[in-house]
Amino acid sequence: MIQAKQLYKSYGSLRAVVDLSFSVAPGEILGFLGPNGAGKSTTLRILSGFMPPSGGHAAIDQHDLVDDSLSARRSTGYLPERFVAPPELRVAEYLAYRAGLKGLSRMQSKRAIASLSTRLGLTPRLKQSFGHLSKGFRQRVGLADALLADPPALLLDEPFAGLDPLQRQDFRNMLQELALDGKAILFSSHVLAEVEPIADRILVLHKGQTLAEGTLPELHALAGHGQSMRITFAVPSPEAALEWARSPLSPDFSLIAKEGNADSLRFTLESNSADWSDLVTWWVMQGFAVESAAIESYSLEDVFSDLIRNREATA
Amino acid sequence: MRPFFALLRRELLSMVISPFLWGLLAAWFALNGLFFLFILDSPMIQNDLSLLPSFLFGSGLLVWLLLPSFPPLLTLRLFAEEHRLGTLEPLLTAPIRDIQVILAKYVAVCLFFLVFWGGVFALFLFLASAGAPMPWGAIAGGLLGALLTSFLFLATGMFASAWGGNLVLAAGGGAAMNYALLFLPELLQGSPGLAGEIARSIHLTQFLDTTFSAGVLDTYPLVYLLATTVFFLYLTWVRLASRRWLP
Repeated sequence: MIQAKQLYKSYGSLRAVVDLSFSVAPGEILGFLGPNGAGKSTTLRILSGFMPPSGGHAAIDQHDLVDDSLSARRSTGYLPERFVAPPELRVAEYLAYRAGLKGLSRMQSKRAIASLSTRLGLTPRLKQSFGHLSKGFRQRVGLADALLADPPALLLDEPFAGLDPLQRQDFRNMLQELALDGKAILFSSHVLAEVEPIADRILVLHKGQTLAEGTLPELHALAGHGQSMRITFAVPSPEAALEWARSPLSPDFSLIAKEGNADSLRFTLESNSADWSDLVTWWVMQGFAVESAAIESYSLEDVFSDLIRNREATA
Repeated sequence: MRPFFALLRRELLSMVISPFLWGLLAAWFALNGLFFLFILDSPMIQNDLSLLPSFLFGSGLLVWLLLPSFPPLLTLRLFAEEHRLGTLEPLLTAPIRDIQVILAKYVAVCLFFLVFWGGVFALFLFLASAGAPMPWGAIAGGLLGALLTSFLFLATGMFASAWGGNLVLAAGGGAAMNYALLFLPELLQGSPGLAGEIARSIHLTQFLDTTFSAGVLDTYPLVYLLATTVFFLYLTWVRLASRRWLP
């Protein structure tokens, strides 16, 4: 649905995007992650048809962005990083104008605006002028604009910027619903915590290049992390539990911490491949007194900084 | 054509609710009314009212002051203001052709400028209603020439507006091009050789004074004005579309 192949963009001697290749399938959310200046907005601007790449190819719904930009733009809903509408226009006027711009008839436009306003909680704001809206509602208007023509692909540049925590949660839910509707969603962020909960896959950009791409566990593996589990056994017999666990299941885990007191003993185990739920079930079935078990992942922030450290060490 | 009309409607709506443009319109009406009164006061016009179109549309302050300076003030909002506000990116990433964007904006600003000329025409109607014998042929010719010249100046203004978000440069650049189109032929018309020949063939004030305001319908000035307008619209398109070509 969204495809980039060896995308390259330079501004004079500055290489903003270098050999970037990825694709986003229908129903998939790809999180575009990277620090400021990593090339995220440049890539999204290329994919939106706003500027051409210096090299490589990009296509939306199989329409090449250079050769058939108009068709590609018809298949795209784009929310720019700093979404602004003419401040003098009311929300309803603006959305009606944008619907017309996207080729919707008056009837289709009314239907789309009514449905999106309800979905995005914009109905009470339709008569308000854009200049008087809060940042959160402006973002919603931007998202409504992107969704008006029901495009199969969505490009969202820092969609969470300026939203309060509640609005962020709403926005995340919305994106997940849209993905369930079959939309291919590419969204960028430099805030790791925003990407982690909703992205099916994550592409980490650094200095215009792909640093890593994959699901969160894949990125953990790339960063050299395993998953860890903290398990607490009631005394007695925790050491025996550990021994028991090692022999029949042979999971590939290592003990990385052991803490305890008179009543309980807690282990922190790390593994790249262990099936923790099987292991815990097995312990319980063997009669070991498991008090609690919790999988602890490294945060995306850890992954990101370790990936960059690894890259710089390799370089 | 739906995207074209959607943009045209939005441009007209934005103009209609813009206090700045209403201010310009008021200034235009006031200054034109003032010039009109000055011209009417002159003994020559009082002796021969048929000279009125030539005085107003041919060589007066309207041509040298208002005509080159007002259109760029209207057109600066077309692209430069959008660029400055950040609304250009959503517009240019919408599924609308660049040429439709340019034409919709241009048609909107031309339609709005008709209101400006409507006010000038009303002055003649007012005079006629007082029983003055009006030279309608020359008035229509003068008004047509001034109208076409203002459409040309709106095109140059739009071209200047397409260069970025600096409103002063957009307005100043447009006005500079307009004054160049008026002054250069005036300055160079007496030159010998090719420069003089070219200057005489694009002598805009001459066309306004001796052709349009005389009520003469000559195809050459018409074609010149229309062709130059199309040329600046084409330059605007090149400027806008090159954004998608230049890597």
